[in-house]
Amino acid sequence: MIEASAAEAGRLTEWSPPLNRMAITLLSLFGILVATYLLLANLGLTGPVVCGVGDCETVQASSYARIAGVPVSAIGLGGYVLLFALALLGLQPAFGFATWVPQLLVAGSTLGILFTGYLTYIEAFVLHAWCQWCVVSAVLITLIFFSSIPELGRMRRPRG
Amino acid sequence: MAQKDRAAHKAAGKSMTRFYIILGAVGVIGIGTLAYTLGSSAMSGVVTEPVDLAGIEDMNTLVSMAAGVGQGDPQAPVRILEFSDYQCPWCAKFAFDVKPFLSLNYIETGKVHYVYYDFPLFMGHAHAFLAARAARCAGEQSKYWEYHDELFRQQARWSIATNPTGDFVDYAGSVGVDTGAFEACLKSDRFADVVTANLRLGEQLGVQGPPT
Repeated sequence: MIEASAAEAGRLTEWSPPLNRMAITLLSLFGILVATYLLLANLGLTGPVVCGVGDCETVQASSYARIAGVPVSAIGLGGYVLLFALALLGLQPAFGFATWVPQLLVAGSTLGILFTGYLTYIEAFVLHAWCQWCVVSAVLITLIFFSSIPELGRMRRPRG
Repeated sequence: MAQKDRAAHKAAGKSMTRFYIILGAVGVIGIGTLAYTLGSSAMSGVVTEPVDLAGIEDMNTLVSMAAGVGQGDPQAPVRILEFSDYQCPWCAKFAFDVKPFLSLNYIETGKVHYVYYDFPLFMGHAHAFLAARAARCAGEQSKYWEYHDELFRQQARWSIATNPTGDFVDYAGSVGVDTGAFEACLKSDRFADVVTANLRLGEQLGVQGPPT
């Protein structure tokens, strides 16, 4: 018992906040901001989406901009908030070794990139229109996905 | 060993502090930008320029849509139509130098039916269209002429404002208009069609520039 807690203490002092989780936290925060902007625009609270490149109006006005009545930006916002909270939690020493953090991070970023892949497919092949903010979000989720790769190695409790 | 651990721990703490500062900065800047976007779009629903109108090829439709604001006896033998612009200095001059004389001697005595039409010169008079709408919003509360005078009186002030909406609401308050209803009217597309119809009617009638 004493041995175990000593090992635990040893691990705690060894532990330093993983850089990839910092990256995920920061990228998710950018994602939250982009998704919030798109959601506000979708709800008509801002003017039309500022769209330097592409055709945001076509994308936002299309039938694909909502899934079961929920704006895609709201789904994105929810996803980014969850990823942000998870990664931030994973940066706290108390949760540094919890296996559910990497498991959920991998699951969340995989779902995110699949969802984004679907939306990008719709933009490219169905609508033939691009929304620069959606592309920004796609880049963010791709970076988050790659940043979550080191989590694969933390999904199981280390033996010994 | 313990010392090494402590140093590592300290370094980790330091990097976390730096990380939180960056995170906080991104959050604050981002939220600030979003708030700014929301604030600046407060003007986005406000119609400040002529709108597209259908069916105005027909002169009768156009005249009824334009709905000039009349003063005096509609049955008066003479009818004077004025096409005016709240942002044009000569229109203000007419309103203060000529109009009182006209009112006293001809309009109030039933000799003249005076009808005011909007002719907001769009070029260079950025707020003229909004001012014309504002006057009609005041007119909804039967204060058209009071507001008309106030707009011309304050012309030099609101003409140079970046966003005169606040000034317009203040003037409404000063002439006894319910500012809540006025503001809601101003910050919408109310009367945009009417003012546009005024402008198109003036163009149809060959008005070159206000006051005519």
